[in-house]
Amino acid sequence: MKRYSQHKTIVSNLSGVAFWKKAGAMNLLYVSYGIAIVSTVIVSYILGAFELLPFDPQEIDLKLMITSPGSSGHILGTDFMGRDILSRLIIGIQAYFLPGLLAIAIAIIFGTWFGVLAGYWGRGFDTSITYINNLLNSFPRLVLILLMVAAFKPDIYYIMVIVGITNIPVVASLIKGKIQFLKGKFFIEAATALGLKNRVIIFKHILWHNCRSVLIIQATLQMAEAILMETSLSYLGFGVQEPTPSWGNMVQAGANYFMQGKFWPSTAPALAILFTIMGFHLLGDGLNNIFERKQKI
Amino acid sequence: MKLSSIRPITLLISKELMITAFLLLGVSFVIFIILFLSPGDPFSAMVKGQIMSEAATKGASDALVVPDAWYSQYLSWLNNMLHGNFGTSTRSGLPVLREVVLVTINTIYLTIGSMFVTLLLAIPIAVVSARRGMTPFTWPATIFTYVISALPVFWLGYIVIYISMHQFGLFPLAFGSMSKKFSWIYFMLPVFVLGLGNGTISEVVRYLRDEMERVFAEDYIRTARAKGASIWKHSFKEGFLIPITEIIASKVSFILGGAIVVEQVFNWPGMGRMAWQAAQDRDYPLIMGITLMAAIIVRLGSLIQRVVHIIVNPRASQE
Repeated sequence: MKRYSQHKTIVSNLSGVAFWKKAGAMNLLYVSYGIAIVSTVIVSYILGAFELLPFDPQEIDLKLMITSPGSSGHILGTDFMGRDILSRLIIGIQAYFLPGLLAIAIAIIFGTWFGVLAGYWGRGFDTSITYINNLLNSFPRLVLILLMVAAFKPDIYYIMVIVGITNIPVVASLIKGKIQFLKGKFFIEAATALGLKNRVIIFKHILWHNCRSVLIIQATLQMAEAILMETSLSYLGFGVQEPTPSWGNMVQAGANYFMQGKFWPSTAPALAILFTIMGFHLLGDGLNNIFERKQKI
Repeated sequence: MKLSSIRPITLLISKELMITAFLLLGVSFVIFIILFLSPGDPFSAMVKGQIMSEAATKGASDALVVPDAWYSQYLSWLNNMLHGNFGTSTRSGLPVLREVVLVTINTIYLTIGSMFVTLLLAIPIAVVSARRGMTPFTWPATIFTYVISALPVFWLGYIVIYISMHQFGLFPLAFGSMSKKFSWIYFMLPVFVLGLGNGTISEVVRYLRDEMERVFAEDYIRTARAKGASIWKHSFKEGFLIPITEIIASKVSFILGGAIVVEQVFNWPGMGRMAWQAAQDRDYPLIMGITLMAAIIVRLGSLIQRVVHIIVNPRASQE
């Protein structure tokens, strides 16, 4: 079916122009906010790993319980045990950063593999992979994780393996669709006619040249998902346990004081979650708008 | 509708039913494998703490535990479930099926209500931005949807509880034990919080907007506009009905996951809270029943989506 698009000619005229000139201002705003957040997270993670913190995150100071931001050297104030909130927020990144990367790696690698199998080698693989995808989609992720928690008492890395596995279908179906679309193109036909190996066609011509941006976008969106999952689980008490800080258990620990009108100890980590997840979402969606929907500008 | 047009639809729907049954079989198998691999069996839990010699333990084990292969264990377990016997909860001693069905109704109410809230917010934004592009109304609205969907739902819950406590003098934390006069507010609050904070609004808006933009660019809409017909009427099926049912069906499992957190915040007596409790107590039969029930709900959601799709457009579904 032919779809009428008025913008086709405009795009071909613009094909030599750098991408940031033809991306809308809105998308550039999204992406720059996202990059700012991602680099903040990475820098804070490195600072936390080398323990370059303003205060010791575990140091209890009962004279300074629940102080407001900026008092006596604590930039973001202190929590209900007088511990520095900023240091705890920075250390809290460790709760999701490496586990999140693990989840992303699993989802991307296996998702790509399944997607290539289903898209390139067709029917039999396609049916069975669709079945597995539907099967994995049938479980609400948090319910499946609670089942695993009941069965194995896993730590956060194993939980993130499950998050990664449940994300495989998303990546697989994207890659599958992409490959089915590309298979009809002339350059693949030409590559086959030239006698290139399947390996070269798949890895170089399909995955590297055409699926790179999709995979990067998926990786950013899945980091947001991993953060959401980790904070929810820590909030529910199944993830990282006190006194090790995680943004989820910080919100939970501050909640008792929330009802007394002392909002800050639980609002600070909540805002951290808000800005970070939003950063990853906007980065993914902005990149998607710029690189994947070119024809619409 | 003529009989001749009903027959292919019935065929397609029965095919979907078979696929659903087959998937639920797979779901039960996955649950079985997880529980089969989990460390600790009911027998050692039973004899634990009782003084028994090595030989006595072995003798009791031989007498009580049938040393079955995994597949015959699975088949007998499946057979039990098909007869409605999901076992008894190790914590309360009550039959699992009854407990799970009772709480499922609460959770379904919460899920459907919050979907309505999400759609009420998402559809206007999606329609306006698909029709008009970026305007002074739509771009703040789009940013707003991103903020809303990044908001941690538990914190949103606390804020709503705090406001309802201090502004209206209500205590939704003590669910069910309040006077009847304001009881509808306790039902509304979690629905509202989950609807806003389930983290899907930005995705829903994005998907609906993309689909509507695609449909508005189709030839038949252009023709309709050229002859002066209503484009809303022409684009309703493909641009509204199908995308909305699709996005709902794909987000059911996500919202059920969010319901666990919200039920925890609001003390809502639903499936999520029970799952939390069961995971805390390692109550295998209960968490198994809940997982199965959640999977059934998700499958029903996508079955309804398929049926709508088939009825709206039987020819496209045949491929």
